[in-house]
Amino acid sequence: MSLLSVAGITKRFGGVTANRDVTFDVARGELVGIIGPNGSGKSTLFEIISGFYRPDAGEVRLDGGPLTGLSPDRVCRLGVARTFQKLRPFAGLTVVDNVMVGALTRTRDVRHARSRARELLDRVGLGEKADAHARTLSTGQRKRLELARALATEPRVLLLDEVTGGVDQRSIPGLVQLVRDLHRGGLTLLVIEHNMRVITAVAPRIVALYLGEKIADGTPDAVTRDPRVVDAYLGQAYTR
Amino acid sequence: MRSTWPAVTFFAAAALGPIVVRDAFLLDGLILILLWGATAASWNVAGGYAGQVSLGHAAFFGLGAYSAALLGTRWAVSPWIGLLVGAGLATGFGFILGFLSNRLRGPYFVLATIAFSQVLLIVASRWRGFTSGSEGIPVPFRPGFWTLGIADKRAWVYLVLVLAALLYLVQLYLERSRRGYQLAAVREDEDAALSLGVPARRLKVAAIAASAALTAACGTLWAQYVGFVDPYYVFSVDLSVRFCLAAILGGIGTPLGPFLGAALITILETSLRARFGGIGAGLVGIYLIIYGVVLIVTMRFAPQGLLPWIAEHRRRRAPLGTTA
Amino acid sequence: MDAIPQLLASTILLGGIYALIAVGLTLIFGVMRVVNFAHGEFLMLGMYLAFWAFTLLGMDPYVTLVLGLPVIFGGGWLSYRLVMRPVIHASHNVQIFTTVGLSIALQAVALVLWSADSQFVRTGYYAVVVRFLGVALNLAQIAAFAVAVLFTAALFAFMRWSYTGKVMRATAQDRHAAALMGIDTGRVFALTWAVGITCVGVAGVVLAPIYPVYPSIGLQFVLIAYVAVVLGGLGDMFGALIASLVVAGVEVGGSYVIGTAWKEVLYLLLFITILVIRPAGLFGQRGAEVIGT
Repeated sequence: MSLLSVAGITKRFGGVTANRDVTFDVARGELVGIIGPNGSGKSTLFEIISGFYRPDAGEVRLDGGPLTGLSPDRVCRLGVARTFQKLRPFAGLTVVDNVMVGALTRTRDVRHARSRARELLDRVGLGEKADAHARTLSTGQRKRLELARALATEPRVLLLDEVTGGVDQRSIPGLVQLVRDLHRGGLTLLVIEHNMRVITAVAPRIVALYLGEKIADGTPDAVTRDPRVVDAYLGQAYTR
Repeated sequence: MRSTWPAVTFFAAAALGPIVVRDAFLLDGLILILLWGATAASWNVAGGYAGQVSLGHAAFFGLGAYSAALLGTRWAVSPWIGLLVGAGLATGFGFILGFLSNRLRGPYFVLATIAFSQVLLIVASRWRGFTSGSEGIPVPFRPGFWTLGIADKRAWVYLVLVLAALLYLVQLYLERSRRGYQLAAVREDEDAALSLGVPARRLKVAAIAASAALTAACGTLWAQYVGFVDPYYVFSVDLSVRFCLAAILGGIGTPLGPFLGAALITILETSLRARFGGIGAGLVGIYLIIYGVVLIVTMRFAPQGLLPWIAEHRRRRAPLGTTA
Repeated sequence: MDAIPQLLASTILLGGIYALIAVGLTLIFGVMRVVNFAHGEFLMLGMYLAFWAFTLLGMDPYVTLVLGLPVIFGGGWLSYRLVMRPVIHASHNVQIFTTVGLSIALQAVALVLWSADSQFVRTGYYAVVVRFLGVALNLAQIAAFAVAVLFTAALFAFMRWSYTGKVMRATAQDRHAAALMGIDTGRVFALTWAVGITCVGVAGVVLAPIYPVYPSIGLQFVLIAYVAVVLGGLGDMFGALIASLVVAGVEVGGSYVIGTAWKEVLYLLLFITILVIRPAGLFGQRGAEVIGT
């Protein structure tokens, strides 16, 4: 039985079709990578799953219950958390307050939320920065902050949009290790990633999108050898 | 700025005021500081904590002032009932405005709030049959606590002190409670807040409605204290600006800021009045020039207001490790 | 229905003047992303400029218009340098309160200089009425309309064909890209602000023979301009033009049907309705107000 099921999702913006009949299931405890060249509809799909966009057709279900049509905050409370590709920390709040906002979705007790937040910050390696203002963090640290914040909502499925994007080379292994650890801990993850080396190393299964459609779904080896995936990436390389 | 001792000092000093001071002029200043501080704090609930900046809050203030004054003059109803009626009406309008704020951001919302207060101004100043139109209405003085006919200024100090302390506590709640953290998240980045399970829309509407109701309550007490309601004053954009100016000057989104700002503004105003005597147009003008320039300068050098600015500078000057 | 030609003529005259106020406001918003809450005060200052020149120097308002143009432009430029430049990259709220502060200060300066009393510019042609095809119109109103049309047309031509106008439009579309192209956005902002202020200042000068002047008169007109600007779509100059006519029509028609006392309520309700139903304006892209630009 799958935990998250994406069925026949179609989304159009004016004349552009961002997603066309995208269907796949994610089983409990699975880590699924999503790849595709720029503009292939990865982020749109995340926006739909997390409730920010409403699809024109199709349905998203969590553990059998429908998510489509619910507001983003309801989706989160039902157990789907996300990070943003373009990072969005609460810049004026401290790091620990940022994470507390997530924790307070699950507890009414502010003190309990604070200790939860500190735990999570330690876990993502930001413990020392807890009292700093979020705006003082580097990009890599902000990624960790977003991760901690999303984890604080105790998600059943975590959507990660570009874990290593915009991060300096030295910070990448640490972030990758963090994702691995979360997966080992039993969390279900859906990960968008540009860096092919990272995603093939982390994800046992990859879904490839191109021009809004799913063109491949399988092991990293199978997907990266799939002629349509190769064409999609090569095509993009040529048109650039 | 997590410690509360400056606030405790402030309110304790205000409470001691009537015991130490007998001068009616000074007591009047103290009452106005507390009253304007409470109103600015009410504005702060929406403008500072929820980030819903309104330049039409005079509408709610006026609703409170008019409800009590009209009920009192026409049907001899107690101003306390009037206060509740005004707060109820303001809550209703606050919900409407809150609904608007879910669709409008930044300057659009500000414009909507101004338009809203202007509509109420026109209704109040033109609906002669009910509101007495542009002449305004005198509030009848009927002695007693139930009718708020209190001649003793010392009693008024304690009355508005209760209101001010209540507003301070409301803001403290917004700083420290679960709802407060969530509201801060909405203010910083609404989409990010939504993604973390914060019911952003409901919270914004609730904050605006609460802010409106509290502002109306301040309006009622102000009208009962001053004894006269003039539509061109209570519904004016100038008055709306005054509320936010106090909050912004003292420290937007801080619990003590609105009171500090109100104190500075009121002291400036009353001292100018005392020096020059009376309120000629020229004097009001000089006072308003200072007011406008202070706002511009604050926006440029300390847009968060004085309290956060002071905190920042103290932090910078303090040696490392002393302010964990 | 004999009144219809008269109502139409009044609408067009009034709409023309509103348009001149509104295009300045929408230009400043379009290029700088600043809603100028002090816009009405520059109208008021324009009116006082005409009043002063008239009472002290005996200068006709239309002479003041020509001679005063550099003064108005210079005043606009100066207010940019002193007040707006430091906050041009600050948040919306900081900009809003800066212009609110400017508005308070300018009104107060007028209060000190000229008191709160209404002042009048009583020219010799004050009450001259022109009759034409069964329509009676005030001469000063026709003159104001003519000046407004001239200025609005000049502004449109400037924006469309001059190099500077193109640079301003480019900055409006994407200020970062414009900066990358080597456009000095700081100078563009200063110029935009000064041009926008000049529009409203000129409107003030030509309104002086028609309306009484007092320090807070700006609010009355600028509220109408806000309605027109939002109705036309913030930043859309052509939209503002059409919307000014619509607002004038609502005002003129409303005054005729329900009396002048309630006419403001009409356009304010129109304003709120637009904000609720179609915040991006008649011609604008839906959703612009949520993106917050």
